[in-house]
Amino acid sequence: MSTLTARLRGRQDRNVWFWVFVGPFALGLLVFVYVPILWSVYLSFFDARNTVSPTHFVGFGNYLYLLRDPAFVSSMGTFALFAVFIVPVTYVCSLALALLVNRARVAQAFFRSAFFLPTACSYVIAALIWRLSLFSGARFGLANNVLRAFGLENVNWLGGANYGYWVVLVSLRLWLQVGFYMILFLAGLQRIPRDTYEAAAIDGAVGWRVLRHITLPQLRSTSAAVVLLLLIGAFQAFDEFYNTLITVGGYPPFARPPLVYLYLVSVGGGTQDLGLGSAGTIILTLVVAAVGLVQLRLFSLGGREERA
Amino acid sequence: MALPRRRFLSLSGGLTAAAALGLAACGSNTGRPDAGSSASSPAGGSAAAVSLTQWYHQYGEAGVEDAVKRYAAAYPAAKVKVTWQSGEYEKLVGAALLTDDVPDVFEYGNGPTLDMIKAGQVLDLTETLGDARSQFAPSVLAAMTWDDKVWAIPQTVDMQLLYYRKSLLEKAGVQPPQTFADLVTAARAVQTKDVGGFFAGNDGGVGVLGNQLIWAAGLEQINEEKTGIGFAQQAMYDGLTQFRDLSSNGLLASASKDWFDAAPFVNEETAMQWTGLWALPDVQQAFGEDFGVLPFPAIGASGRQAVPFGAFSSCVTAKGTNPDAAKAFVKWLWVDQEADQVDFSNSYGTHVPAKTALAPQATKLAEGAGAEAAKFLTDFGHAPSLLWTPGTQQAYTAALSNVVRKNADPQAQVATVARKAEAEIKRVNG
Amino acid sequence: MRTSPALAALRYLVLSLLAVLFLLPFYVLLRNGFSSDRLLARATWHWWPDDVSLTSLRELFANDDVRMARSLLNSAVVAVVQTVATVLISALAGYGLARIDSRTNRVVLGLTVLTLMVPAAVTFIPSFVIVSTLGWISSLRGLIIPVLFSAFATFLFRQFFLGFPRELEEAAMIDGAGYWRTFWRVVMPNTYGICAAVGTITFIGSWNAFLWPLLIGQDRDFRTVQVALSQFMNSQGVDLPQLFVGSAVAILPVLLVFLFLQRYLVQGVERSGID
Repeated sequence: MSTLTARLRGRQDRNVWFWVFVGPFALGLLVFVYVPILWSVYLSFFDARNTVSPTHFVGFGNYLYLLRDPAFVSSMGTFALFAVFIVPVTYVCSLALALLVNRARVAQAFFRSAFFLPTACSYVIAALIWRLSLFSGARFGLANNVLRAFGLENVNWLGGANYGYWVVLVSLRLWLQVGFYMILFLAGLQRIPRDTYEAAAIDGAVGWRVLRHITLPQLRSTSAAVVLLLLIGAFQAFDEFYNTLITVGGYPPFARPPLVYLYLVSVGGGTQDLGLGSAGTIILTLVVAAVGLVQLRLFSLGGREERA
Repeated sequence: MALPRRRFLSLSGGLTAAAALGLAACGSNTGRPDAGSSASSPAGGSAAAVSLTQWYHQYGEAGVEDAVKRYAAAYPAAKVKVTWQSGEYEKLVGAALLTDDVPDVFEYGNGPTLDMIKAGQVLDLTETLGDARSQFAPSVLAAMTWDDKVWAIPQTVDMQLLYYRKSLLEKAGVQPPQTFADLVTAARAVQTKDVGGFFAGNDGGVGVLGNQLIWAAGLEQINEEKTGIGFAQQAMYDGLTQFRDLSSNGLLASASKDWFDAAPFVNEETAMQWTGLWALPDVQQAFGEDFGVLPFPAIGASGRQAVPFGAFSSCVTAKGTNPDAAKAFVKWLWVDQEADQVDFSNSYGTHVPAKTALAPQATKLAEGAGAEAAKFLTDFGHAPSLLWTPGTQQAYTAALSNVVRKNADPQAQVATVARKAEAEIKRVNG
Repeated sequence: MRTSPALAALRYLVLSLLAVLFLLPFYVLLRNGFSSDRLLARATWHWWPDDVSLTSLRELFANDDVRMARSLLNSAVVAVVQTVATVLISALAGYGLARIDSRTNRVVLGLTVLTLMVPAAVTFIPSFVIVSTLGWISSLRGLIIPVLFSAFATFLFRQFFLGFPRELEEAAMIDGAGYWRTFWRVVMPNTYGICAAVGTITFIGSWNAFLWPLLIGQDRDFRTVQVALSQFMNSQGVDLPQLFVGSAVAILPVLLVFLFLQRYLVQGVERSGID
């Protein structure tokens, strides 16, 4: 073996260098992700109020309390409802936008930027605009102005007497996210070879049929990624819920997704019940993992031949 | 600017939640017990050696901090150091009272909480008040009286009332409402697509109007025997139903600011608004004479008009460095120094001096709407009972919200509040 | 593929309408920031602002409850440090994982991928516990350090480096360079594209973050601008024009970064192999 090959094969101090490169990251991951998760699992079995080193062991007490707590269960229900709305709607809208933008020859970059730009806006600021100006329940909101122009009454969007707040939250999230997923779809669309379309055109396929039988199947892996990201994103929903609905008097009893519930329980509500919060986090993580796995399984059922 | 007292007046929970929880859990850790020793003034000779600390919360109006420091500096018998606390005042006080590092004198909303009194953290000031007791409005003193003893001396009085636009009501052909039924009719008559009828907060009035409903129905928060609530009666259930009617039609549920800001009324988003006396200057500036004020209208046949009030009042701590000197200082400032009291009430915003005789001296209350407001205070004023704990308040607000939003049965909801109140009273009584 | 001109025109019409709709909230932000309170509360919607001056801006910065200048500074420090540090840490780690094969390589890789599966926000309680034990609440350390370790960024870099042409590195190694020098002299100068992509994502994410800074920034001097705005909105002394002009100021850096660097983001997505 020549010295060149030996050197290329790898060095004796390979392990040292591995840690030089990967060390900081691995250390950080350990200290700020894995240790906290493990500590949190530990805490979840204790009655840990206002303390991080508790002494009162309660076993599965926290878990049982949560699973029986109507507030927690309803927060999971809120998430489920939210996900059922937001995932398909975002999927369809971003795909539709991608299809439209993809075929635009003139000013394609401008349109792409216009739809992608909201991604740069923070959830806080977007929530401000939505809550105070666009969907304000008072007479000066834009939505209410439009309603009154059609002769209808003002709607108190965020009051909780109706389900108007879902319109606000879903439209808010759509605005913020559709651009990003549109980009994903655009990338996927551009990967479809042109001759596929041309072959289909020769066969007489057109419009809707092209979409169903050619485009969508080719986009399967992109779709899988998009749906998975959307689901995980729906779980992480906090910023826009909190900022749209919080008032001087506190957070209302409706529209509490799991993270808001956990936040209020463990930090925001007066007593810091960290044991309960940790148990809730674990439950949430397990649910997310399960849903993610199921979804991946569903999607790969048909798409294994896609991957090279 | 932020005005923390508005928050406590709206009684939307959390006033002393933290303090109450902390103090209750702490148990009766008494400092020096005080068996009502007479409030003698400190010896004249070595008076300069006595130093006291006094705490105020951060008032929103400009100039208050300088004023209170001025008053304290003028006290001849001791050196008083004034601390202006920003941040969550109730939490700070609650925490400090648990330590040895307590201020000698501190102000608190409507006097000390029942937990503070029971834990012996504040001193009985009945003797300090002495004969001057009759000079204060009885309802104001009632808020800080427990066991027939007075536990704080009021500094100034804030109140809330109903503002209405005279011209809009005239145009709709309705009289200023004296009863709640009138209010509902008036609100519905006056409202248009663009202008609401009656506004009391972005939560539909549930937070701030709750206690008004009890008093306006002619009932009390706590019953005579002091064991539970005093409003488990038909008059109350009817009142709640009427309030639900108002909420469904006539009540403006959303505006540019919340109830404590005059903006919705001034911006003409609503024809009537429930807000505080502090808003009076803004309203006068906007509408001149085209507005009137009313107390909360009576509910039902046995009802009465009502206004809530809150008075930040001066308390003396038991564990302070020199309780007798502290008592003397409080007496000097808030009983004797009438010019300062008027200045405090009148020069920085609009408030009512705690001593009824001084009200005419407060120029803003001398005539017109201001004078009417001062009269409401004397005639119809109510303050929450000491036994009405934050826990009970939260239960009541939730019940009210259920009646309005979910069409729940008023009687059943009141029953849940009754249970909570009984439990709370048992807990507080030891 | 031929489409009729009518259809094409329709497409452009729809796209234009949608573009207006999407850009509308940004305009509303500006309009509100330069209007008076009265205009904002008026019954009819006015498209034009009525107070195009800097009064609200000046009042906002003078407002001691909000501490806008300090919050902006905090956000800037946190975002810049976080971006630079994350890119460095993840690039190094990604290269190590891609190129330096060792026993622990697969373990670390597995842990990294596992972290990808766990949504970041779900770990906020446990992270809060750790940080509060370390005493880092209300400090810049607490704001920055715990979020520097992005499994996503590391994974992106790893994928990228896997596809990096080996010839360049081999040439360097023939010349006697070790891992370290090869990385800095040869590999990094050719990865500016992906560094820009990761940097942009990190900067935007850091500037716009809310939950973590909310937990950590309990002292008003250690709030980021998002938390400051949120608390201002929810305070009793809120002034709407000030709030909106503050939001406009807060959104400006991110918009600029985005406008200039978005093509790297797009390229990064295309090359990322997410799909």
